[in-house]
Amino acid sequence: MPERTRSLTAAKLSADDLAAALAPRSSSPTGKSLSVTGLSKSYGGTTVVDGVDMEIAAGEFVTFLGSSGSGKTTTLMMLAGFTEPDSGSITVDGRDITELNPGKRDFGFVFQQYLLFPHMTVAENVAFPLQLRGVDKAEIRRRVGETLEAAGLSKFAGRKPRELSGGQQQRVALCRVLVYRPPIVLMDEPLGALDKRLRDQMQTEIKSIQRELGLTVIYVTHDQEEALVLSDRIAIMKDGRIEQFDTPRGLFERPRTPFVADFLGAANFLTGKAEDGGGDDCTRVRLDTGGVLTARAHPCVPGQSVRAAVRPGKLRLVGAEEGCCSGTVETAVYVGSLTRITVRLDGAAPGTQPLRIETAAVPPRPGERVCVTADRDDVSVFDATDGG
Amino acid sequence: MRGHRSRLALVNAVPVTVFLLVLFVYPIIGVLSLSLKGDSGGFTLHWYADALSGVNLSVLLSTLRISAETAVLSLLVGFVLAHAIARMRPVFAALAMLIVVVPHFISALVRTYGWIIMLGDHGLINTLLTSLHVPGAPFPLLYNETGVVIGTTSVMLPYTVLVLQGVMRGVDGRLLAAAAGFGASRLTIFRRIYLPLVAPGIGTAGLLSFILCLGYYITPALMGGDKQTVVAALIDQQVMKQDQWNSAAAFGVILLLLTFAGLGVLGLAKLRRKKAAARRSSS
Amino acid sequence: MMELPATRAGHIGRALSATAILLFLAMPIVIILVTSFGADGIGTFPPKEYSTHWYEQMAAPGGNWATSIALSSLIASLTTVFSLILGATAATALARGRLPLHTAVYGLVLAPLLIPQVVIALGLFLFFEPAGMLGSPLAIALGHTVLAAPIAILIMISTLRGIDERLEDAAASMGANRMTIARRITFPLATPGLIAAAVFSFITSFDEFFIAQFMSTPDTRTLPVLVFNALQFDVDPTVTAVSAVLIALAVLALALVALVRRLGGHRDGRHALPVEPLT
Repeated sequence: MPERTRSLTAAKLSADDLAAALAPRSSSPTGKSLSVTGLSKSYGGTTVVDGVDMEIAAGEFVTFLGSSGSGKTTTLMMLAGFTEPDSGSITVDGRDITELNPGKRDFGFVFQQYLLFPHMTVAENVAFPLQLRGVDKAEIRRRVGETLEAAGLSKFAGRKPRELSGGQQQRVALCRVLVYRPPIVLMDEPLGALDKRLRDQMQTEIKSIQRELGLTVIYVTHDQEEALVLSDRIAIMKDGRIEQFDTPRGLFERPRTPFVADFLGAANFLTGKAEDGGGDDCTRVRLDTGGVLTARAHPCVPGQSVRAAVRPGKLRLVGAEEGCCSGTVETAVYVGSLTRITVRLDGAAPGTQPLRIETAAVPPRPGERVCVTADRDDVSVFDATDGG
Repeated sequence: MRGHRSRLALVNAVPVTVFLLVLFVYPIIGVLSLSLKGDSGGFTLHWYADALSGVNLSVLLSTLRISAETAVLSLLVGFVLAHAIARMRPVFAALAMLIVVVPHFISALVRTYGWIIMLGDHGLINTLLTSLHVPGAPFPLLYNETGVVIGTTSVMLPYTVLVLQGVMRGVDGRLLAAAAGFGASRLTIFRRIYLPLVAPGIGTAGLLSFILCLGYYITPALMGGDKQTVVAALIDQQVMKQDQWNSAAAFGVILLLLTFAGLGVLGLAKLRRKKAAARRSSS
Repeated sequence: MMELPATRAGHIGRALSATAILLFLAMPIVIILVTSFGADGIGTFPPKEYSTHWYEQMAAPGGNWATSIALSSLIASLTTVFSLILGATAATALARGRLPLHTAVYGLVLAPLLIPQVVIALGLFLFFEPAGMLGSPLAIALGHTVLAAPIAILIMISTLRGIDERLEDAAASMGANRMTIARRITFPLATPGLIAAAVFSFITSFDEFFIAQFMSTPDTRTLPVLVFNALQFDVDPTVTAVSAVLIALAVLALALVALVRRLGGHRDGRHALPVEPLT
């Protein structure tokens, strides 16, 4: 590896270097697949995790996304073995590991609070898991050196963790896990304590290391943007259940529940009635405020009360198109690349939220009359009685 | 894992529990049963009747009196010191705390001996007072109740200062400033705001030094005269010199009951505060 | 922070009273240190002449003082070992596990610190006397452990509480077993607390008077028992030198604890006295 000088503060880590340093000498793929069935946990009568099922492929980056109390951390703790599930099973590459102690699972776990051992130096921290595995001394020295070098941490090898900044500490924590090449890495909000700029940088690093090494990563966060940047698939959690487990695009474009539509897209909800003859291919919703939206095909019974969800960026302002919904602009705020406007539809019940629309075009002024519509693929329809 | 944890805790709790049951609880039960045993082996309250009459009763009363005097004095002195420390600059406060805490770890015998050297007719204090021509000097400060209370107070002071310092640190200075903003005088602020806020600490500190004083006898034995015999010294004499174990046991049980009473008051006060806090937070 | 402004009079009043009280606490100790080097031996202050005569007297081989110092050291060492064993196990149970009857065990541990020591001493006397174990250093050490173990336990509990339990989880997640975690993570982090517990157990025993007095025989008298007798009956000026040594021992012990805590990265000097559980 070529000698490089690195600045301390910028510490621009070349994630490819780190991945190269960590890459297995053999050609076997690093990640393993994981399968979870019926995982449940309750504390004193309160169900925290309620029958989680999921299949995670080898080398996949999966994120549990949800607000606090959604059960995402408890699920991760059960995968790690720190929390014993009430029922359900966990298998890795087909092998049942539900009953195994955390240490026997051969996972890596990155904690939010770093949890570096305060009495050991940076190098000793990184060497620790290798010592546990009985790797011989010369090999440990080599691998610790390479890993720290690649992570831009060589200068700090002899320091104690408390002499490092938060970002450096988290990088050490990452090295300490990656150095023993666990096939599955679990991460519990590992960037939660870092500032925005550092967090963005670390996200890029984590993602490229994962891709390079083909690691299976299971990640927990409450930060939507972070989940979208990192994940191959995201499991949205609510009340201990997975609301939807899908790719970021799938979640955005085909939300399966009003909760998902609202949580990810901050969707506008419009109430109305199904206008088709019923069956699985309904496409038209007559809104209570007047106007008709064409939606993606969904099951319905004629005249059923429904809610149509459209994200602010997908509502279009049109001249006078057939079926468009007319209303008056209330506010218009320029926020950089686009303008956020709110529109009160004609006939909207008092007290209901105005429509939120984001547009890059020349925006109308408050008080102006507009007509609003949306493309068929941007409208999701749910039964009016569905929560969310 | 949870089941495992409580099993592990149980295994780890065994040594200390067994040890204290055998060498602490069982011996104290032994004291209790001996105090109720007559010369011929039957049940009797004779030893208690004996302990609560005549000279013995006056020893008990003087123990209570010395403990009460010590509690009040160490509370007053402790309050003044803790209050001053709370408003000192950090460096001085740390230094002052050092002077408070270090003596606690020095043998009480040694500290008492220091007082004996200081309080004698030719000791530092009387020499100083005489050279200042204070009328009446030298004062009799040793081998009487004054000496005993001075000695025991210095032994109890670390406890009262630490307890009081704990509550004083918890008082929000802005409350006092706010009261001053309403036009309250310093005296009113102290009486109506500060004292009620630190009152729980005052109760705890006073009772604690009273309880600890009850069974204490190094200082009374070394600095007191004949009239300052305390219960603990009496127990020592009866065991070491007179072989009156039953009577000693009865005195031991009386001390124990007085201590429990004190702890009971402490516990009740704590419980009441907790309940009041719970009511406040639930309403 | 907004506070009541201090008045000049209040300031001076507080400074004067605090100084007087601190002198009240410190003077007896200072006086002993000075008089121990006085030549006359009757506690004249300040001494007219200085000498180390009383220290030589104290250390004279075969003398009462040297014998009792050796005995006290032996008993204090035994007490320290017992207290550390009980302290480490009990603190693990009380601070780490989910212990059934937690409050009862905790109360049992605190009780010896609050019950009059003379009652504990009497109980131990009645316990060991029938076994003919009065004067046995082992029996005295066991008695001292009743007082020292609770202190060791309180110190160890606060030490263990100060160690992030998830560090142990982190080690477990990398594959460390229970023994390795204890050896490589918990033990090194708990070392300052262990040393503090050892030091305080040792001085608790070394300074203990009641139990040692009740269980002493003419042949086995610990240092505090001898000091007490010297103060009550004989007038042996050597006691000043002995007292000075006891002071030095306490100060050294506290300095050692402070040093270890600082090296271990602990900055708070609290938990010095076991009053916190009571308030």
